[in-house]
Amino acid sequence: MRVVKAIFSHPSGRIGGAIVLLYLVVALLGAVGLTPHDPLMQYRIDRLQAPSSSYLMGTDLFGRDVMSRLMKGVGQSFTVAFFSVAFATLAGTVLGLTAAWYGKRWDTVMMRLMDVLLAFPAILLALLIVTIVGPGTWTSVAAISIVYTPIFTRVVRGPALSLKEREFVDAARTFGSSRSYILTRHLLLNLVAPLTVQVTLALAWALLTEAGLSFLGLGTQPPASSLGLMLSDARNLMEQAPWLLAFPAVAIMLSILGFNLLGDALRDILDPKTRRA
Amino acid sequence: MTSRFKYFLGLTTAAMIGLSAISQAGAATLRMAWAQDATGLDPHKQTAFSSLRLLELIYEPLVRLDADLKIIPGVATSWEFSDDGKQLTFKLDPKAKFQNGAAVTSADVKASFERILDEKTGAANRANYLSIESIEAPDAGTVVFKLKQPDAPILTAMTDTNSSIVPATEIAAGTIGTKAIGSGPFKLEKWDPNSKEVLVANKEWAGGPTGVDGIEISVLPDETAILAAMRTGQVDFALLNDPLIATLVPNEPKLQLNRAPLLAYHVLQLNPARKPMNELAVRQAISCAVDRQAVLDTASLGEGRVTGPLTMPFFASDPNSLFCYKQDVEKAKKLMADAGFADGFTATVIAATGEPPTAAAEAQVLQSQLAEIGVKLDIKMMELNVYVDTWLKGDFDMAVALNGGRPDPYTMYNRYWTKNGNLQKVSNFADDSLDALLLQGRAETDPEKRKAIFADFDKQLAEKAPWIWLYTGFGYTAQQKNVQGFVPMPTGSLVSLGKVTIQ
Amino acid sequence: MNYVIRRLKAFPLVLIGVSVVVFVAIRLVPGDSITAMLGTEAGLLTPQQRDSLAIYFGIDQPWPIQYWRWFTGLFSGDLGISVTYGKPVLTVILERFPLTLELALLSMLIALSIGVPAGVFAATRNERPADLGVRIAAMIGQSTPSFVVGLILIYILSAGFGVLPTMGIFTPFWQDPLENLSQMILPAVTLGCAFAASVTRVSRSAMLDVLSDDYVRTARSKGASERSVIWRHALPNALVPVVTLSGIEFGYLLGGAVIVEQIYALPGLGRMVLEAILQRDYALVQGAVLFIALNFMIVNLLVDLAYAALDPRIRLEGR
Repeated sequence: MRVVKAIFSHPSGRIGGAIVLLYLVVALLGAVGLTPHDPLMQYRIDRLQAPSSSYLMGTDLFGRDVMSRLMKGVGQSFTVAFFSVAFATLAGTVLGLTAAWYGKRWDTVMMRLMDVLLAFPAILLALLIVTIVGPGTWTSVAAISIVYTPIFTRVVRGPALSLKEREFVDAARTFGSSRSYILTRHLLLNLVAPLTVQVTLALAWALLTEAGLSFLGLGTQPPASSLGLMLSDARNLMEQAPWLLAFPAVAIMLSILGFNLLGDALRDILDPKTRRA
Repeated sequence: MTSRFKYFLGLTTAAMIGLSAISQAGAATLRMAWAQDATGLDPHKQTAFSSLRLLELIYEPLVRLDADLKIIPGVATSWEFSDDGKQLTFKLDPKAKFQNGAAVTSADVKASFERILDEKTGAANRANYLSIESIEAPDAGTVVFKLKQPDAPILTAMTDTNSSIVPATEIAAGTIGTKAIGSGPFKLEKWDPNSKEVLVANKEWAGGPTGVDGIEISVLPDETAILAAMRTGQVDFALLNDPLIATLVPNEPKLQLNRAPLLAYHVLQLNPARKPMNELAVRQAISCAVDRQAVLDTASLGEGRVTGPLTMPFFASDPNSLFCYKQDVEKAKKLMADAGFADGFTATVIAATGEPPTAAAEAQVLQSQLAEIGVKLDIKMMELNVYVDTWLKGDFDMAVALNGGRPDPYTMYNRYWTKNGNLQKVSNFADDSLDALLLQGRAETDPEKRKAIFADFDKQLAEKAPWIWLYTGFGYTAQQKNVQGFVPMPTGSLVSLGKVTIQ
Repeated sequence: MNYVIRRLKAFPLVLIGVSVVVFVAIRLVPGDSITAMLGTEAGLLTPQQRDSLAIYFGIDQPWPIQYWRWFTGLFSGDLGISVTYGKPVLTVILERFPLTLELALLSMLIALSIGVPAGVFAATRNERPADLGVRIAAMIGQSTPSFVVGLILIYILSAGFGVLPTMGIFTPFWQDPLENLSQMILPAVTLGCAFAASVTRVSRSAMLDVLSDDYVRTARSKGASERSVIWRHALPNALVPVVTLSGIEFGYLLGGAVIVEQIYALPGLGRMVLEAILQRDYALVQGAVLFIALNFMIVNLLVDLAYAALDPRIRLEGR
């Protein structure tokens, strides 16, 4: 609660938080079907209509309502972003913690493996994964989480290494606390702050990557919509129907902006030592 | 976007990059652009549309097609079937020369066809020449093909770039595919794959002289970029695939759009080996439920024509005469109920990403149309190569495809609908009467009788509905108005670039 | 020095890891070089034709043998032959690399020449309207995907003005500098946007940190002019994180900017790999990914070294 209060008293936190909340509401409305129209319904006679009172953001090539598709698409993009960051955080935390704790060979093997993944060009790695498995929501999730796992592993391992050597862990050890208790209670608890910041920023990146994959036709599959796919579809129509480009473009920018602002605020609040803009 | 905003943004960006990009190069070189590059140089093996467009400027076959799909001279000036239809004789053009200076002789023709027939070559057109018994070269200017049986489509097959004449010396040296030496209007000077090609005029071309000194082809993978480059005058001539882009061309005062109805057809392939598409009534129901014109209007902005199985003008039937070519949802529902599927069923339809560009849109329109009779389609988009792999295995319920057409119905369809067709695995549909009609049409040499045979074939195929033929699109080329003499062809061929001039 | 040797020692291991991953991954993709070349017509091949094509493409042997063949070739500098280009893989890569390198350098140049002054400017006007303005602009810049920037730039220039620099062709800088710049400027701006935004943000906060440091206060109290305090005393130290950031970003850009290269039809490294994947040009994919990974690791090592050189407080120890 204290953190929430702090976020809303922080200027960029207030804006970022508001944007993210707005998107969550929109995504929720889209998910429960409270959209102006059915996002999949093709109104054949109303194809490629400019924004009007009946279609606030116009219609697409099939005569589907852009606003409804956008609402649904936000949900889709956010689902992919949330799940991929969640998996990456989970995998990264487990790998990073165990690497720091057990050290030695396990640490070396893990870190080399992460080096391999890091040295791989990210978008190409995601692309290869998607071509192998075939595109789809969960493939995108898998691809993006694999790309981000090494980053989380590093984020966790560094501080965990130094925490491990600190007095309170030693103290806990001498008091006979079990290994898993120390790992979760002491180490993890102290890692919450840097992780939260990283998660928020990673969400922004995941949204960006999802959009990029969909833009290349390798993400969300039609007839479903996602922000990147809508942009990609708008590309060849941008002269006949610029609204197809404009609304998703603004929507992507705003969503990423929201998470970036929130991430900044969280960094200021949770991690006062490092102050970055 | 308001025009003032446009103006402001443009000014700043234009200032930022100090624009002076519009350059007017030497007018005698045609600057051309396309989105997909050739994938190789072996005229006998390459089947990609993009490769053929390049190779047909370099190589020549014995005979060619004109814009009405009539056969006209190529390397050969005249040809003749014997009375029993088992011997085909060509007289070669004495002026024809390869780009290495050597004359095109009957020995080159013989060697070229023997290369095509050699199974190890992997030639794309081999299947069309299986009736050849022997090839004889009585003198340097005469070639005689002896056939095992009368084979009318063989002459049309010879018009294909995949049956080009290549120098016997290059075959012996094993350099076909690494060096491009043909007898066509242009020589390939430089090929930088996925980037550009430089062609120079072949001064010794028998059909010459060419109208331009050369052609510089740039590969611009995004057609939006091609249009942009044409607007700014950086490109004189371009090949376009996407109707959404092509329809913007006429808005530009300096540009001209050329359309040619193509032989290739957009189709929804059903897999009759799978339930419930094995039921004739179900397939017919799908055919009745589809509004072909609506698919065309949405996916291709109406750019094309609804078609039956046969797409070539001479053989094609009036689509309205074919089974259920007018959408009839009530009839479709009744057929579904008769087959025991009143509640519909679920099936997966595969489509390739971006190939053709309209594939995803077609799948989505079909999905919404078939939903009306309770058929729920799941769309599965695949990267082109994955799609091809799946398609070849026949591993799909339904597939959205753009399949290539041929000028002759037999050559076009024997692979799918004869019982030992090479792509029987893809069509999964063997039918006695279709098989018989194709074989009959192959042996018949009288054009009117062939027409009647194939009209019957067309009608039966539409009624048995193993596939749902949708429409044929246009082949587009865009050009600056000062480019003159280009003739659009239903095969999509660019061969008339040999005579194009820039004013 | 020890540190450098230790890092270098890890290189071969990581590279082998990368090569195994890419080798297996590209072969797991359905379809092969044959279907890539022939498309649906591949179905017309007889088994014998297929076999001879498989030998031609070098995909007739079992995977381990293919890998071993390729791996042993590496030591003699032989990365194999690209089947799409009909040239040695290394030649193809080196033809594409100058563009990618130039694009990375140009966008870094744009990013630094906008980002650093903007960051310093904002820092000196901490929390005043000018600072806020810069921060908002930077935040928006950082939140706009490069393909959105690219699409909008192209749309405005071509639809609004009918002007656009040459696309799809790359003229090396040493052949025709003007032509080269006119080709590269739009993509560089597109990539430079987000890059400049992050540089702005990092240099602003680094500057703020440094300005509150003791030695800056000392300099001020000694009566140094504000200008000299900022540019002479503070900036050099504030640049440390900027160097790190640009180095890392540069390393990523050397891997090719797939989407931007695609939009602007640039024959760079990223698009080449994308096409090689789609064409199932196995040798080219393997070679190119290895090349990119090596570059990335070298750049990262250099960044770490530069970091240590610039900031004596940092000791390079086990990271």
